[in-house]
Amino acid sequence: MIEYVLLLLGAAIMVLGALGILRFPDVYTRLHASTKCDTGGAMSILIATALIIPAPTMVKIKLLVLTFLIVMINPMVSHAIARGAHKSGVKPKGEVDMYARDNP
Amino acid sequence: MAGEDFLVDPLGWTILVLLATSIILFYRVLTGPTMPDRIVGLNTITTKVVVVIALMAGFLEEYFLIDLAIVLIMVNAVGGLILAKHFERGKKDD
Repeated sequence: MIEYVLLLLGAAIMVLGALGILRFPDVYTRLHASTKCDTGGAMSILIATALIIPAPTMVKIKLLVLTFLIVMINPMVSHAIARGAHKSGVKPKGEVDMYARDNP
Repeated sequence: MAGEDFLVDPLGWTILVLLATSIILFYRVLTGPTMPDRIVGLNTITTKVVVVIALMAGFLEEYFLIDLAIVLIMVNAVGGLILAKHFERGKKDD
């Protein structure tokens, strides 16, 4: 039962991440949506697959190794893309000024 | 489960959902305003394809496909890092 809940949760998170990449204004907020939703959804779906399939134990261990690699690699690539975008001159559209918001 | 009950299995439905979201993300890849937007879309599509390959391995009971998925996520890491290094020394032009 828990594996089907994990599968549905992962698919829903993937759909929400795709909508975030479509609708957010600039590249940094798109990276925010991409990193969180993609890593969490892939982790959830792969753990659910390892619980569902009737396979030998080594195959399930391979699926867990794939989950570990995605969790390690995906935030690293997103961090590198954000650093490269900022150094190449792409500016974020939003401006965060918490002091002016708190003291009008 | 060898393909004829694709729409009965939950794994098959998850594969269809992931393929639909990948097709949606191709809009961002084709019409991204800047070049890092396209790279973000391609990175996300590659991760979704890795998950689809792992799900197909479980669905068709062809377990060598999981090794192929591991190789694809490693290639994605190398390609993303190389593109990011290429951006750091480039200009803003698309």
